[in-house]
Amino acid sequence: MNQLLLIPIVAFAKLLTLALRVSGRGSGTALPGYLVGRYFPFVLKALVSQIPVVVAITGTNGKTTSQTMLSAVLDQAPKAKVLRNKAGANLSQGILSELLKQSNAVGRLDFTHAVLEVEEATLPRIARLIKPNIIAVTNLYRDQLDAYGEIDRTEKLIRDGIAQCPTAAVVVNGDDPRTSRLTQGLENATYFMSLAPEYARFLPYEGKLNRRVPGSEGLEATNIHINEDLTTDFSVQGQINHETVHLPQAKTVSPGFFHVYNALTAIAIANLLGIDGATAIAGLKTFKPAFGRGEILTRRQGDKQVNYRLLLVKNPASFSLSLELLRNIPGLKLILAINDNTADGKDVSWLWDSELERLNQANIDWIFCTGVRAKDMAVRLKYALDVPPGPIPAEESIRQIIDLSFQKASSGDTVFVLPTYTAMLEFRKLMGKTLDVV
Amino acid sequence: MPYALTITHLYPDYLNLYGDTGNLIVLRRRCQWMGIDCTVKPLTMEEVAQSGQTDLYFMGGGQDMDQVAVVNDFHQLKHEAIRADTEAGVVFLGVCGGYQLMGNTFLMGNGEETQGLGIVNVNTRAPSTDVKQRCIGNLVVEINSAVYAEMQTMYATPRKIPRTLVGFENHSGQTYLGEGVEPLAKTIAGFGNNATAEYEGARYKNVFGSYMHGSLLPKNPHFADYLIGLALRRKYADVNLTLPTLTDTEEFAAHEFVVQRYR
Repeated sequence: MNQLLLIPIVAFAKLLTLALRVSGRGSGTALPGYLVGRYFPFVLKALVSQIPVVVAITGTNGKTTSQTMLSAVLDQAPKAKVLRNKAGANLSQGILSELLKQSNAVGRLDFTHAVLEVEEATLPRIARLIKPNIIAVTNLYRDQLDAYGEIDRTEKLIRDGIAQCPTAAVVVNGDDPRTSRLTQGLENATYFMSLAPEYARFLPYEGKLNRRVPGSEGLEATNIHINEDLTTDFSVQGQINHETVHLPQAKTVSPGFFHVYNALTAIAIANLLGIDGATAIAGLKTFKPAFGRGEILTRRQGDKQVNYRLLLVKNPASFSLSLELLRNIPGLKLILAINDNTADGKDVSWLWDSELERLNQANIDWIFCTGVRAKDMAVRLKYALDVPPGPIPAEESIRQIIDLSFQKASSGDTVFVLPTYTAMLEFRKLMGKTLDVV
Repeated sequence: MPYALTITHLYPDYLNLYGDTGNLIVLRRRCQWMGIDCTVKPLTMEEVAQSGQTDLYFMGGGQDMDQVAVVNDFHQLKHEAIRADTEAGVVFLGVCGGYQLMGNTFLMGNGEETQGLGIVNVNTRAPSTDVKQRCIGNLVVEINSAVYAEMQTMYATPRKIPRTLVGFENHSGQTYLGEGVEPLAKTIAGFGNNATAEYEGARYKNVFGSYMHGSLLPKNPHFADYLIGLALRRKYADVNLTLPTLTDTEEFAAHEFVVQRYR
């Protein structure tokens, strides 16, 4: 393909992005990618093929976090220059937009690595074009609004994507029965990420927990300890390409078991790319959680200061796991913020698949429900709790719940907030506006 | 006297999409709060059904492959016993995929129609090209008058209960009621059985089918009580049996919210 052809297309895309931004019609994320992808489908391949190492990360939960962790690790390597698509811009147009944006005026990309978060159904559509050297699949859970057969279909789509790249190394969640069988019958070298069984049993996988086949390669996390600030310490052991990996002191600042998988994935990929374990561990320490995923927002008023820790909930699996994490918090102060916009899932049935019953083992000070579907959440809690703590406040207005919770909390307290996606955006915005109120 | 209720959850490991388990959580808890001794038993693949063993059947929806396996298993090991029960007035609730599956024919994801369980005379067809491809969204319906009248007799102390049911539908199959089957409710907002019928759900004897997720019973506690009451009245052969009134503040607040917002 003629490199010269790229020049006018890239120029057009850059102008369009600029025009969109100047006219205030959004940050111009997806439209240039959409138009270029539609009329010049060869551009994606022409751009990606300039980057020596391409990693594609897909799966239901943890795409963004794994991507961010891996980027933090790769940044430790000398001379590494990592390109990544923006969180959530994981369809082909979002990926293409980022490539167009990062390329210079003549369509050159000066990067050593591309670490791309790829939406599950998009993988088979672009696998042949982006030719990833490594494909990672974090897990495969039902999303809330899945139609019949959807998760079977998603599994098949990812498998199709992998099948298009027979030389790609594949890093999968080795406990998840759906991801661990993805490469069965395919030639791809496969590495299994797992937690020691005593932890994996807490995880809401569908069907039997997979046990790794003896002789297969991968990493296992042991001695997992969740600290009071929700940072997680763990040890890593395993084998990759006949070499033993042993890292006794790994740490992730992202809270919980599911982030241990993400960290293992980042460590394994780094290892495959020739980065040693110590460097990987150092890189993980510099990692900052993606927004809403364990992020802490602080509200101050006079001498009073209350921290709000956001743990995004997207589907029953992430909801149940976040609750699991909160079981050991003394005097838990909790806000459940449930909206029913498209990005949250319009059908709130998934609240009933989420294991709110796990709160029965928690030490609860108080719980507030908020968001458009606050009342649905309150009903779910009423049926989950063996000993209901009296009436559960359910107030649609997130603003009011922030005020209420601030009044109710003592200075220095941490309030845990489990919001759906748009509730999380709203919460952050409100916190931004009310930060440092005098 | 303390009552006991046995619920059979059909194929819980195969038919468990869309929070339908919420219906069982609600039945179990409400029985507990009313002092009814409730046992939930799973009945799944390769297990033989026996009639006269249960007071209430529940069946949710599943993935296509699972639904086909269920139909085969049902006809081999369960059809005769469960059909005998439902004909004798045992309560049966099927939701969405479970509702479609209960009928004579139902639709698979690839648009193919296949044989159903045949315990209620309804048929579910692929949508024709002139109707919407998928019925999806919040659903508000008005309970049919016979059901509503009976529902009001369930309580020891008369109470005000909503005339509506609320939920969320998400289906492409178009369900048509056959002879002897009444609609459960009239559609106020949303679609219901099919894109043109203006009715939602089905009732035949004590067999109920509904497209409502949400889950169905949490926000419709009066319907949950109705099913419990029907099951107990049949079991104890006492048409005057009544239930205590629970405080349903949260439930009806959530119900009313949906009625107001989505009507």
